[in-house]
Amino acid sequence: MNTNLLIQLLVNGLIIGTLYGVVAMCFVLIYKSTQIVNFAQGEFLLIGAWVCWWLLTRWQLPFWIGFPVTLAFMMVFGVALQVIVLRPMIGEPIISVIMVTIGLSIFFSAMMKWIFGVWAKPYPEVFGTKAVNIAGLNVQTPYVMSMAISLLVMAGFAWFFKFSRLGLAMRATAFNQQVAQSLGISVKSVFAMAWAISAMVSALAGVVVGMVNGVSSALSFFGIKVFPVVILGGLDSIVGAILGGLIIGVLENLAEFVDSQYLNWGNLYTVVPFYALIIILMIKPYGLFGTKQIERV
Amino acid sequence: MATTSSALIPCGQYKTTYRKDTTIFPTPATRAVAVAALLLLCLAPLKIGGVELLGKYELNLLIQIGYYGIAALGINILVGFTGQISLGHAGFFGFGAFASAWLNNSFGVPVFWAIPLAGVLTTLVGLLFGIPAARIKGLYLAIATFAAQFILEDFFARAKWFTGGSAGTLAQPFSIFGYEVSGDHGYFYVVLAYVVLMYLLGTNLLRSRDGRAFIAVRDHYLSAEVMGIGLTRYRVLSFGISAFYAGIGGALFGHYLGYVSSEAFTILLSIQFLGMIIIGGLGSVMGTLLGTAFMVLMPEGIGALSRSVGGVFPALTDGLAFVKEGAIGLAIVLFLIFEPDGLAHRWKMIKTYWKLYPFSY
Amino acid sequence: MKANLFSAAAAAAVLIGAGPAVAQGIFVGHIADYTGATSDVGKPYGQGVADALAYVNAHGGVNGKKIEFETVDYSYEIPRAIATYKKWTGSQKVAAIQGWGTGDTEAMVTFVAKDEIPYFSASYSGHLTDPSGKGAHGSKPAPYNFFYGPSYTDGCRALVQWAAGDAKKKGIAAPKFVHLGDNHPYPNAPKAACGEYAKEMGFAVVPPIQYSLKPGDFKAQCLSLKESGAHYAFLANTGGSTISLLKSCETVGVDTQFLGNVWAMDENALKAAGDAANGVVFVVGAADWRSTAPGMTTVREISKVSDPSGSQYRPVHYMRGICSVYYMRDAMAVADKAGGVTGPNIKKAMEQMKDHVPAELQGVCIPSTWTAEDHRGTTTVFMYRANSKGGAQSIEKIGESVIPRKPEWLGW
Repeated sequence: MNTNLLIQLLVNGLIIGTLYGVVAMCFVLIYKSTQIVNFAQGEFLLIGAWVCWWLLTRWQLPFWIGFPVTLAFMMVFGVALQVIVLRPMIGEPIISVIMVTIGLSIFFSAMMKWIFGVWAKPYPEVFGTKAVNIAGLNVQTPYVMSMAISLLVMAGFAWFFKFSRLGLAMRATAFNQQVAQSLGISVKSVFAMAWAISAMVSALAGVVVGMVNGVSSALSFFGIKVFPVVILGGLDSIVGAILGGLIIGVLENLAEFVDSQYLNWGNLYTVVPFYALIIILMIKPYGLFGTKQIERV
Repeated sequence: MATTSSALIPCGQYKTTYRKDTTIFPTPATRAVAVAALLLLCLAPLKIGGVELLGKYELNLLIQIGYYGIAALGINILVGFTGQISLGHAGFFGFGAFASAWLNNSFGVPVFWAIPLAGVLTTLVGLLFGIPAARIKGLYLAIATFAAQFILEDFFARAKWFTGGSAGTLAQPFSIFGYEVSGDHGYFYVVLAYVVLMYLLGTNLLRSRDGRAFIAVRDHYLSAEVMGIGLTRYRVLSFGISAFYAGIGGALFGHYLGYVSSEAFTILLSIQFLGMIIIGGLGSVMGTLLGTAFMVLMPEGIGALSRSVGGVFPALTDGLAFVKEGAIGLAIVLFLIFEPDGLAHRWKMIKTYWKLYPFSY
Repeated sequence: MKANLFSAAAAAAVLIGAGPAVAQGIFVGHIADYTGATSDVGKPYGQGVADALAYVNAHGGVNGKKIEFETVDYSYEIPRAIATYKKWTGSQKVAAIQGWGTGDTEAMVTFVAKDEIPYFSASYSGHLTDPSGKGAHGSKPAPYNFFYGPSYTDGCRALVQWAAGDAKKKGIAAPKFVHLGDNHPYPNAPKAACGEYAKEMGFAVVPPIQYSLKPGDFKAQCLSLKESGAHYAFLANTGGSTISLLKSCETVGVDTQFLGNVWAMDENALKAAGDAANGVVFVVGAADWRSTAPGMTTVREISKVSDPSGSQYRPVHYMRGICSVYYMRDAMAVADKAGGVTGPNIKKAMEQMKDHVPAELQGVCIPSTWTAEDHRGTTTVFMYRANSKGGAQSIEKIGESVIPRKPEWLGW
């Protein structure tokens, strides 16, 4: 058994897994606060990456200006989306809500392809060093930054939800909207805030991936990979999202190991997370950390 | 005392027996219009006095509306009438196409029989998917079918014995009793026959006991179970029937194109099916056809628009494929915000307005 | 109920518009990928075809007759190509088609044979080279399929030959060869035949590794590649995904020598991949933009059709698109004199060409020969290397190889 390759693939999996975890956290944030499943999560990454790329290349802004501008744009974008598209959807059956986010995802992905094209465009070099060596695997600097930033974001989220007023308001709204409203929490601004934060953090993830692989429409695939992650971790658990992301990232690379060493099918890397999703739905539908809803079948 | 106007559009409920209540066409007028439209469609591909009534392009669009409409009715039975969600319908559609081609190529089953047999095979696959799906509800079912779509896509690209792998497989043209139906004009009648048959079957199903059971499961499953309707049984049955419709639609699609490949059956097609029934109206048979027509004709409309204003907006023609794709997503979002009950509802509102004219309040 | 919408749908369909008008002159269909998975190379090639067709019309057409053409962007979706083909063979009488991708071209082989429409594809799959179906490897008869340029398999064989020489020079005792590509007809086309040839040339052929035609993160595949120890890797996808692969592999630290098929590497891909693409050896099927051949003046004139300033640099695929159109035009000119521009006449005219180069394109297109039994136009392969060191980029020709026209390699 090729332990060297295995370890390198595992490290690769952990690195990608932190990114999955960040995207999943944004997804869970929206679901927890507003009960909406966001099929357009991948497009948030895509839009954030493209906007940042555009600011950096077309307007020649330095990164430390372009990036906050991107975040500001994404915040406005998230709030606008919530107000324009999702507020009329409050109270509609779940099929409508799902279809709205699906429709949005198709619309945004097509618009991005129209405006920026389908080719992968490289990011201008932001960090001096190209790569750092961890356990024999060359890890690109943006990925190392992303791990550091992801940990910061996770810590920030944890602090936010436990100790800040707004975070507490969000948790209250997620628990019971009507009680929260009766206590004076503006549910509308909580919703808007949830979408804004989710959009901003997704843009961060998108920029990181864009710096490593170049920006292309392939970024939307993160929005599809996020489903195995959140099903594994539990749809409404932030800790579950992080752990789920790491597990799925590692699982993918393990599958690639098995595939390249023993099976030679070629497709396991892409398809294994979906098989994992189905299996988890069969045996543990609420995931590792999700809240069990007790009901009759 | 049935005056002409009340025979055309009665302004009240005058049914006195259950039998009269469950007719497919509520008034003699609607039945007459339906038959007339059918006759008109039968005349459509013909040449009258040397002039073709409909060009090949329009025929192609109508045939597309036909086979997509059959599959859309399937998913409307599942989503609109039974209240489940399926994001994997394109997988069943593709399975039907591949099954029909496979039966015809590997076993020599004539295409005439291969199409219904493909529908039956797809039903079996649908029942298989339905068994675990009956235990999962709502959101989780949507996600599970979402994953199933990708798994089926991958299966199609891999299973060389069944689908020919990534290269796809050829599907023979349709033939009845040795007479080969080649060309769109003949195939139009085949598709028309299937559409009429499948829609009649569907409407019949929905006014029967099982149909009412589906609606009960959708509306309030706890009460339905209390009344003795087996939830699992009807949910699985619903999956099977929707798969049957998808299989027939897919088989017609495969034999029309003459070639089946796995890249035609992507998640975008699944979403388009859902879009068709949402735009048309969930839980409405007529709405299904309206929504399908909308979904098929809208990209063509955008293409025609770009041809006419392309000179002024070159960006439109360059990215035409993207604009068409974006329009699908935008149409779904706009309809959900402004017309959540779909075109069928809007049509009903228009009819009601004229029924009550001038007292439209 | 049903009735109203059937009629509504029919009326709407008629209203929304008929397709393009029926053509008067010679109608040529042009299928291109401007927005799909292979659009990164589809755009320059398609532009070359469209510009050449416009230029031919402006300079005498086919014996004075103009060519009417319609460009359809099918986004690399095979069903759309087939639907477009059906539209063209129905309402308009299409004389020939300039096509694009392997998947759709291979799917339509029987259709074009039955309808007798010459199909000039941008797919150089070996499976399209056997007109009578007598090839030793069970290839389908493809009597109406033509393409300009060396086939994918011949290109791969030339690269393997070069690699064998390179391995000997570097003193590699047991060189390993691997095929990298997506599970799709286009990358799959040369896989089996080239693997067999590599074995013949003394390579150990390692199991192929899959990477998607769409750009993405391929570090896992690169790690597997590094692990397999392959010395030479054949890139079977197009430029877009190859850029991602090269970048991922550079990060992982793979030191395999990459060999690119004709679509895998060009000047645009080199620009996007940067130093990651340094040293990639790839196939080129015509002259490159900087060539000083006499035919390049015509090419630069053609380029002005879509770029009046004449300053745009055209990647290598542009020239092949032009060559494809000109061979078709020459065949149409002969067919016109022989009784009309019909499919069978064009086919006969193509099969009479011997070492033919269109008059205006001397030195640009490789002399090509088609016969009724052999649709391998040319087996000459140009090999270029991409250089990129710290921003200084260039492509240079490093060799030329003529693959023998072995009968057992027909259709393979």
